[in-house]
Amino acid sequence: MPCSIELTRVSQSFSNADSIITLFENLDLSVQQGQSYAITGPSGAGKSSLLMLLSGLEQPTIGKGNVVTGDHIASLDSIRSEIGFIFQQFHLLPELTALNNVALPLKLRGDKNAINKAQLWLDKVGLGDRAMHKPAQLSGGEQQRVAIARALVFSPKFIFADEPTGNLDQHNATEIADILFECCQQNNAGLIIVTHSHELASKAKHIYGLANGKLTNTSVTTEAHVPENSFENISRDTNQALASTAQKKQVLPC
Amino acid sequence: MLNLTIPLAWHYVWQEFRQPHQLLLRWVQAVLMVFIVTLSLASNTIQTYLEGNLQNLLGADAVLTQKANLTKEQITVLAGHSENVVKTSQIDATLTFNTKWQRTKLKAVGRDYPLQGQLLTSTSVLASNDNLAEVTHGGPKLGNIWLDSRLFASLSAVMGDVINVGEHRFVVSRLLVHEPDRLMEGHNVAMRAIINIEDMEKLAFAADLIQYRYLVSGTKSQINQLMQWQKQSLPAAKIHHKQGAHPLALFWQRTENFLGLASIILFFMAAIAIEQLAQLHLKKEQFFSAICMSLGASKVTGLQLSILKWFFNILLLIPVVVVISGICHWLVVNWLSTTFPAISWQLEAGLMAKTITTSVLLFAVFHTPVWLTLWQTSVPKLFQQNRKSISLGLVKLCALVVLVLVAFKYSDNGLLTLMLVGSIFITILLLVAISWAALTFGEKATQRFSGLIPFSLFMMKQRLLSKSTQILGIGLSTFLLLFTLMLLRDLGDTMVSYQRTHDGNVMISQADQQQMNAIKEWSMQHGIDLRQTKPYLYAKAVKINDQALDDFSQKPSDSLATLSRSIRLHWSQTVPDNNRVVQGKWWSKDTDKWQQISLEEEVMTDLGLTLGDTLTFIINQQSFTFTIAASHVYQPGAGSITFWVQMPATAVKHINAPHYNMASLEMDDDQWPLLGQMWRQYPTIRMVSLGELTKQFDNILAMITKVISGFAVMIIFLAVTVILSSINAFENKEKKKNCVIMSFGFLKKTCWQLNVIEWLITAFIIAIGAIAGTYITGMLIYQSQFSLVYQPNVTVLCLTLVVILSTVTLLGVYASRHSLKSSVKQLMADV
Ligand SMILES: Nc1ncnc2c1ncn2[C@@H]1O[C@H](COP(=O)(O)OP(=O)(O)O)[C@@H](O)[C@H]1O
Ligand SMILES: [Mg+2]
Repeated sequence: MPCSIELTRVSQSFSNADSIITLFENLDLSVQQGQSYAITGPSGAGKSSLLMLLSGLEQPTIGKGNVVTGDHIASLDSIRSEIGFIFQQFHLLPELTALNNVALPLKLRGDKNAINKAQLWLDKVGLGDRAMHKPAQLSGGEQQRVAIARALVFSPKFIFADEPTGNLDQHNATEIADILFECCQQNNAGLIIVTHSHELASKAKHIYGLANGKLTNTSVTTEAHVPENSFENISRDTNQALASTAQKKQVLPC
Repeated sequence: MLNLTIPLAWHYVWQEFRQPHQLLLRWVQAVLMVFIVTLSLASNTIQTYLEGNLQNLLGADAVLTQKANLTKEQITVLAGHSENVVKTSQIDATLTFNTKWQRTKLKAVGRDYPLQGQLLTSTSVLASNDNLAEVTHGGPKLGNIWLDSRLFASLSAVMGDVINVGEHRFVVSRLLVHEPDRLMEGHNVAMRAIINIEDMEKLAFAADLIQYRYLVSGTKSQINQLMQWQKQSLPAAKIHHKQGAHPLALFWQRTENFLGLASIILFFMAAIAIEQLAQLHLKKEQFFSAICMSLGASKVTGLQLSILKWFFNILLLIPVVVVISGICHWLVVNWLSTTFPAISWQLEAGLMAKTITTSVLLFAVFHTPVWLTLWQTSVPKLFQQNRKSISLGLVKLCALVVLVLVAFKYSDNGLLTLMLVGSIFITILLLVAISWAALTFGEKATQRFSGLIPFSLFMMKQRLLSKSTQILGIGLSTFLLLFTLMLLRDLGDTMVSYQRTHDGNVMISQADQQQMNAIKEWSMQHGIDLRQTKPYLYAKAVKINDQALDDFSQKPSDSLATLSRSIRLHWSQTVPDNNRVVQGKWWSKDTDKWQQISLEEEVMTDLGLTLGDTLTFIINQQSFTFTIAASHVYQPGAGSITFWVQMPATAVKHINAPHYNMASLEMDDDQWPLLGQMWRQYPTIRMVSLGELTKQFDNILAMITKVISGFAVMIIFLAVTVILSSINAFENKEKKKNCVIMSFGFLKKTCWQLNVIEWLITAFIIAIGAIAGTYITGMLIYQSQFSLVYQPNVTVLCLTLVVILSTVTLLGVYASRHSLKSSVKQLMADV
């Protein structure tokens, strides 16, 4: 049974030496397993902090997050081990080969088939022949693919990706985005992406914008209103166009 | 070009002044320099002081003794092998004054005496303590004689009296307080007098009774050459030298070696610390250089900036180092001067400058990999994470070679340095082998199990390369620390045992059984330390191999002359602690074959005797024949009372003769008056005081012990610094690993557990490697450099293992607590 993570009326603020920074107040957000979400917004808006709250790694100042499975409500701690992360900086361990990097979460869980499963995932992200290479020998795009394989190899229910294409060029970014969305869908994992890229955001089923402490569901509003900014209009159009081609184009055998 | 970069570098030094890696680097470099400089200064002061003291006790670097005058040619050779030679002669003669007479060691010296050390004399008989004595240059004038205080007392003479030696008359003109070359003759408590060397010729003693002693000063190699020459050209002569078997000589050598070792160890620790920090430094410098280059500066400028920045940082440190180490040196000297008033602080700018320059060069050498990497890189490379370079290993190897050369240059004991460097290499190999084996086999063996331990093994095996630098760094420090501590303990033990068993300051040469009992009771009553007592009876040799003594040898010999008088025959079940059997076999306990003896080796050689020969003694008017079963020599470390001839304890039953005892006492200054009480009660006890001589000895021992403990504290402190900085250098890597593991959905607790397991495994490898290295080093260095027997103690080893395991694990876990404070959020934020 698919579950969902729900934040209801949460507020997050940090108190510095004398001032209090409030990132957002009374925020509601619900993400479902199997669905994809994009969160955009200016840097410093609190997107990463929001991911932390969703994953249960940090507690909001006010309010609480829950995991809802049907009628059953549990704390976020209960799905702690079923969440994977993907980062802008990839964060592969430099001393480990690609294969061992992917196998790492399985090994930690005591899976004796770790290496075989890891190899399978490397094949899926198209790096089957680079298994024995160290991260330093891989390009940024390839490193991020290894990171995707590593995040998904233990079949988590949710994947949190914090600007996964932020460090990549346009071409690689598109490829990575496709792989990420495909794989999450195949694995029935909920995907929550934080991104600056509208192209990437538009691939998500639900798009949110976080700015000035407010979370707005832009995927709904964009359909309702005709935007006045023509540049944004054009870019969104191209984005949608690109997204639809990417969805049609089966780049990999997920 | 440079006039632009210098201000820029200066600017950046201040910009980066508060950055953590600069702080750490500065801290480590400063601590190391302060230690190395303080150590050099202190050890220099101590060596100078000890040298002076030792000269006072030994009086020469070597003494060549012969029964005859050296020929002109021989003197030329001797002069060629030395810096300076002083001739003295010596004879056992009887002095008479009125009705009293006393057998005396009569020494004849010229104007050039003493060679080294101070000749102390006084015009007042009361001046037996040092304060009233004057430093005197040259011996007595013709017709004068100087007597020691005991001789004054036993002859009841006063200043200005005329005493006789044979037919010649001498005026007593001074009190002889201290003559520096006495100890070199071995252990001797005879009464002493000095005359002019020309008077000795006038006395016209039989030539074979005079001993000619040539006091020689020279370098170590000169003395060695001299000994070679003596062996070939003058086999009948004898050489005593500073490096010889004398206990003080042994101490001197040990101290010199320990100080040398300490400085080499400090250098290596410094190298390890810098090496570990360089990894951290490299990244920062690369980043800095990348920014410079991206702003249009050339590669050379980036490199220049980096070198200049480093140099300015060091320059800023130097005044601080000079002041702090000057203060430290002053404190050390002050601390020592409470016990040794003669020691004084001096500014030794030259030595300081030399040591600082050496340290700075050393630091530079260990920074070269950083600069070389900067030189090799290009802008795109700098921004990439990939900065593996093969030549880096080569550079590090070169740096190591330079370090070894510095170590050789710095220490004057090449063999010791070689041994230490050798042991360090062995330990490195051991650590590498053990890490590889433990991780490989550990991983293989646990592959089929799931859990955190197999995972840790897997991770460590995967990260073997980076892990092994850490293991090597900590392992080497632990090894050096362990070795120093072990050496310290063993040296300390030997010193203590020396102090416990060395002669004491009162020597009893003859006390009968009743007197001995009284002495025992008396010493117990007053808490006087009775150090040794050894029983003996008087025996006079009459026949060797059934041949009368006079017929046995035509060649006059010292030993024969002594044997023909009454000798002291000692009995003992086992080999005395201060003897070592060099030939034959010592008798078993309670042996029935009581008619066997052990003879001192020198006497054996002198008389040309072999095992199985027989000696016939007259003891208390009865004749007994003994077979020579063994031969022994004196070995220092357990008191100086030793006997030429020894027999089984079971023989005592069969021989009816009065028993006497030799003994030694250690008395405090305030206990001296008690001695008079003893004398009055038992006037026939033969007792001499060695107070002045043993006091110096005791002082030197106390000082060496203090100094060695001081250095050990330094090394412990430094080792902890190195270990912490090595952990620190890896903090970022660990942090990242922990974050990544948490991003897989694991709790902080799992990271903590993994961390503990990893440190346990690391500590285990380090402990095994360090202990094995210490063991090998002990085997290599102990005997040859410290004349100590290396006896590893299993319990101590196990205990050490446990201590290292827990300390390294605790230190590791404690120091990595920062890396556990990490959260996934940092992976999102950090660049
Ligand atoms: N633990 C914290 N303590 C104090 N301030 C924080 C903390 N975490 C985040 N912030 C602040 O909150 C703001 C939002 O951070 P972040 O969530 O990383 O934004 P974004 O990911 O949208 O760029 C930043 O200004 C940051 O300084
Ligand atoms: Mg962010």
